[in-house]
Amino acid sequence: MIVYAVPVISQLETVMRHVLNWFHSNLGLTWAWSIVATTVVVRMLLVPLTIRQIHSMQNLQKHAPQMKEIQKKYKHDRQKQNEELMKFYRENKINPAASCLPMLLQLPVFIALYYTLRNFQSHFHVGPHADLSFLHFIPSIAAHTTTHWGGYVLLFVYVASQMASSFFMMTTTDKTQRTLFMITPLVFVFIIARFPAGLVLYWVTTNLWTVGQGLITRRLVGKTPAPVVEKRSSRTPPKDDGSSGNGAKQESPQPKPAPSASQRPRQVRRKKKRTSRR
Amino acid sequence: MNAVTRVPRLVGVGAVWLYRLTFGALFPTTCKYHPSCSEYAVQALRRHGLVRGSLLAGWRLLRCNPWSHGGFDPVR
Repeated sequence: MIVYAVPVISQLETVMRHVLNWFHSNLGLTWAWSIVATTVVVRMLLVPLTIRQIHSMQNLQKHAPQMKEIQKKYKHDRQKQNEELMKFYRENKINPAASCLPMLLQLPVFIALYYTLRNFQSHFHVGPHADLSFLHFIPSIAAHTTTHWGGYVLLFVYVASQMASSFFMMTTTDKTQRTLFMITPLVFVFIIARFPAGLVLYWVTTNLWTVGQGLITRRLVGKTPAPVVEKRSSRTPPKDDGSSGNGAKQESPQPKPAPSASQRPRQVRRKKKRTSRR
Repeated sequence: MNAVTRVPRLVGVGAVWLYRLTFGALFPTTCKYHPSCSEYAVQALRRHGLVRGSLLAGWRLLRCNPWSHGGFDPVR
């Protein structure tokens, strides 16, 4: 299987080399900025796929009360809760979660960039004095991230951006899952530290794009205002629903069941006025 | 189940776990299906073997696109 995969990887690497070279030669970008430009182009190509998700989120706002009801009903059985929510999504043709396919489409880009950066010096025939730096704090995008202090700054930015992007991508309300998603970058930073700095740059760029996209999505979708529950007291005037103008009470067709202790309206005790006799 | 049938599906399940621990963990997203695509792949590989399991997992991945509605979709 790996034997068959190797030609595919080398093909991907060739394509990536051509793309980076095009940005570097034709647009005059440095190698580091060429990586940023490639990432932006990849994410721009994936934008049509995310528009659908924005529409789904807009629909989701309408069904929020029913969803909360399901979550409340099966709060002790997460498996059942997930199944019921999924059924509800399908019935109402909504789904807030992201699809796996757009995310997997980024996998070849990531692999191609990894191999390109690994063999960067030999493939691009760049001399030892070639400008591989990024914003003056990363000396070389082809070197391991932790070879310079700037790499640690990049790793810090990576962790922050990953957490922010996870925050926007998450649709789950489960606290454990949310915490796990937020902690993951802290654990994986030790593995990423061994990657070339250019790859971390790709990651940071794609995360920042996700954050920007998330912010725009939130603005487009808007927050649904919480339902205003009118607090009624003994002093609140009777509601005029337009059915009766004379203020007379309308009899309900069916007798109301006796309210439970929790539902019973609070009785206001009034002090009796003492009439003093002189 | 003998080793001839067990080893390929173990390789497949191992590949899914490798994905989960690397790329999947770095790009955490929640799948629109239940069970999630990677969980579906593991179940399909265990139940139907490497070839049919991989095909089922691939078909599920193609279905997990922005135009599908997702939902409860177990391995059959």
